[in-house]
Amino acid sequence: MKQSTFKADVLPYVLLLPTFIILIVFLFYPAIETFRLSLFTVHPFTGAERFAGLYNFKNIFTNSEYLHSFGISFLFTLAVVLLGLAFSMMIALLLNERIKGMKYYRSFLIWPYALSPAIAGALFNFLFNPANGIIGYFTGHRTWLTEGSTAFLIIILAAVWKNLGYNIVFYLTALRNVPRDALEAASIDGAGPVRRFFSITFAFLSPTTFFLLVMNTTYAYFSSFGLIDVLTEGGPARSTNILIYQLYRDFFVNSKTGYAAAESLVLFLLVVGITVLQFQTTEKKVHYQ
Amino acid sequence: MEILKQTDPTQKRSKKVFEYTNKIKLDQKAGLLYNDDQQLTQYYYSNSNKDVVFCKKIVKEKKMKRIVILLLAVTMLVPALFAAGKEEEKAVKVDADAPVTIEFWHAMSGTRIELIQGIVDEFMKKNPNITVKVQYTGSYNDTLNKVKSAVKAGNAPQVFQSYDVGTLGLIYSGIITPVDDAAKEFNLPIKWDDFFTPVQSYYKYQGKHYSMPFNSSTPLIYYNKTLFKKAGLDPENPPKTYADIRKAAVALKKAGIKTPVTWNLHSWYFEQMICLQDAPFVNNDNGRGKELPTKALINGEAGKKVLDWWVGMEKDGLFLDVGPGWSNHRAAFVSGEVAMVMSSSSDVNLLTKGLKEKGWEMGTGYIPRPEGAKGGVAIGGGSLWMTNTGTPEQQLAAIKLIEYISSDEPQIKWHKGTGYFPVRKTAMDKLKTAGWFEENPNYLTAFNQLLDSPESLNTAGALLGVFPEARSIIQSAIQECYAGKSVQQALDESAAKIDAAMAEWNTVIKQ
Repeated sequence: MKQSTFKADVLPYVLLLPTFIILIVFLFYPAIETFRLSLFTVHPFTGAERFAGLYNFKNIFTNSEYLHSFGISFLFTLAVVLLGLAFSMMIALLLNERIKGMKYYRSFLIWPYALSPAIAGALFNFLFNPANGIIGYFTGHRTWLTEGSTAFLIIILAAVWKNLGYNIVFYLTALRNVPRDALEAASIDGAGPVRRFFSITFAFLSPTTFFLLVMNTTYAYFSSFGLIDVLTEGGPARSTNILIYQLYRDFFVNSKTGYAAAESLVLFLLVVGITVLQFQTTEKKVHYQ
Repeated sequence: MEILKQTDPTQKRSKKVFEYTNKIKLDQKAGLLYNDDQQLTQYYYSNSNKDVVFCKKIVKEKKMKRIVILLLAVTMLVPALFAAGKEEEKAVKVDADAPVTIEFWHAMSGTRIELIQGIVDEFMKKNPNITVKVQYTGSYNDTLNKVKSAVKAGNAPQVFQSYDVGTLGLIYSGIITPVDDAAKEFNLPIKWDDFFTPVQSYYKYQGKHYSMPFNSSTPLIYYNKTLFKKAGLDPENPPKTYADIRKAAVALKKAGIKTPVTWNLHSWYFEQMICLQDAPFVNNDNGRGKELPTKALINGEAGKKVLDWWVGMEKDGLFLDVGPGWSNHRAAFVSGEVAMVMSSSSDVNLLTKGLKEKGWEMGTGYIPRPEGAKGGVAIGGGSLWMTNTGTPEQQLAAIKLIEYISSDEPQIKWHKGTGYFPVRKTAMDKLKTAGWFEENPNYLTAFNQLLDSPESLNTAGALLGVFPEARSIIQSAIQECYAGKSVQQALDESAAKIDAAMAEWNTVIKQ
């Protein structure tokens, strides 16, 4: 099929211009500016800059606390992605059944996605806070958020819960595309529900799973700041101080623009790296229709 | 201190240089003091080539720095000399009655927005030529960040509110006009003697007041009198020392209150309890000396006493760890979960009301100290700053505004509406004559605590540029102690981290 082309030379560029202006002003310029600043030390008030080479990078990578944040961010992301995808796939499968009132169940289960991370944090605080949390009251155990290990589990739980709705919507759509005749044929051939799920349904879900894998990784690395700020402020003793929270504190509280810029470049490269890795390894196993 | 920083082993400098600086540190401890250049020359003769080159470099950098500073001083002085002549001209030029508009950004949320607007409206009534645009700009931190970007964009407000711990940073920020300078320029003397001593001395740096005290508070002990009676404690006699608090907590625990004491995880209490022992928080006159502070002194005897007691109570199940933030400890107190909290004096209203709903009576007391400690409290809260932007007319309007907000009538209104205490003694006297403290005896505690605080550089409160960061370092350290780390080790590590942060800040702020 012959592709239709514009005859005029100028028109396509004019049409693209608005998009490019927005991209440049809100995305490329700030990003490049951030990368540039990572090579400078910046005065906290006047913004006066002084070239410092790799000073910022050298310091963050020799700081044991930053490396600790690196480690727990990785664990956090791993847990959020795996648990998030597993739970949402299970729930989506259940929501794909035909029972009465399914519309309502679906709405309720997708609803957490409509909350901002800060509100989600407030809800979990309501459950777990050490002074008057509901769960603390009923279990008699009050140190959920004031002990490192449980606090870490709770922010994982909150982050997973918060993003369930998003994942479920995509899985539900994908489940619509699983051909019924293939499933029926398999059951006639004697395949049980487990076998049918792994050999057929899962294969059809793989493109969506891959997409969600990438999206959830990004989510875990970049978007969980609000939860942590409300629930633990990175504590107790830095046990929930993931990279994005450290970055927030360095820029907005400690006014260390140079460090913050270096940290965001590191975070950026990290997520790009993971995504590329995912494309190279996982995508080969993805089955597109 | 420059040399110490540069020879940090993590920066992969020669090991020998590091060993050598350690020796210097020891010598200094032993009382041998010599200046940097001597140290370097001595070293210069005693070591290998590579290190010599490095040391030469440092000496050179230091010399360059001195020249630059000298040049700067000269360039600053020359216009100042001219300005002396100009000043009178300026005073003539300012038309005090010309219509002028200024902006005022603050960080007080909720009902306080209305309250501030009311105070400003009153001011505008009295000064019909001045229009003040008041804006709530989010938390202290948000407000400060917005002011910074506004300065860069050229649309800064003339007046903004900032928190106590931002003080040293703002003094060196290059974006503000010190209040005393403006007062002198426009010949509007401010009666600093009217202010409570700890209030005005906090914002005084090397003899000059930099900002106008506005909303000030100190911590207080709040206790539930009803539960005290139940535990057989004297409800009219609040615990005053570390040992008293512990004794009361043990008695309350016996009376069935699981964890009788709490306060939120905040470094502010730790700082205050160091002030109470009249000990410094950082070196160089607690950050108020001629040189910027370079060394945190939190790991001394005073700091250790505080945390030994604080963490000890947590370990013995007398103290409930409620984490950071300002709502959990209040909730625990109001629900009777605990019988004693430490909190800001601006919480008097809120906590009295909360306890009354349950039919309980509340008492207040001074924050505790170890037996025999002779210091006082330092104030916290916020103050009003003038930026160095705008026309002379705007600057004049700005100083008039902040002077008005700190005066008796608005301060009394502010006190009654919020629980922050008025910043002036004269306002307190007026409240006393009006019989306010007979109706509200708990307010008096905060005032008396202030009046009982002696003036010293230690009780004025520490100043350091990296205070927000130091606070989170200390809070982490306290949590590490809860989890089992020894107090001494946690404090030593924190002090080292704060030192590193200060060294860096001291360089960056001068660039």
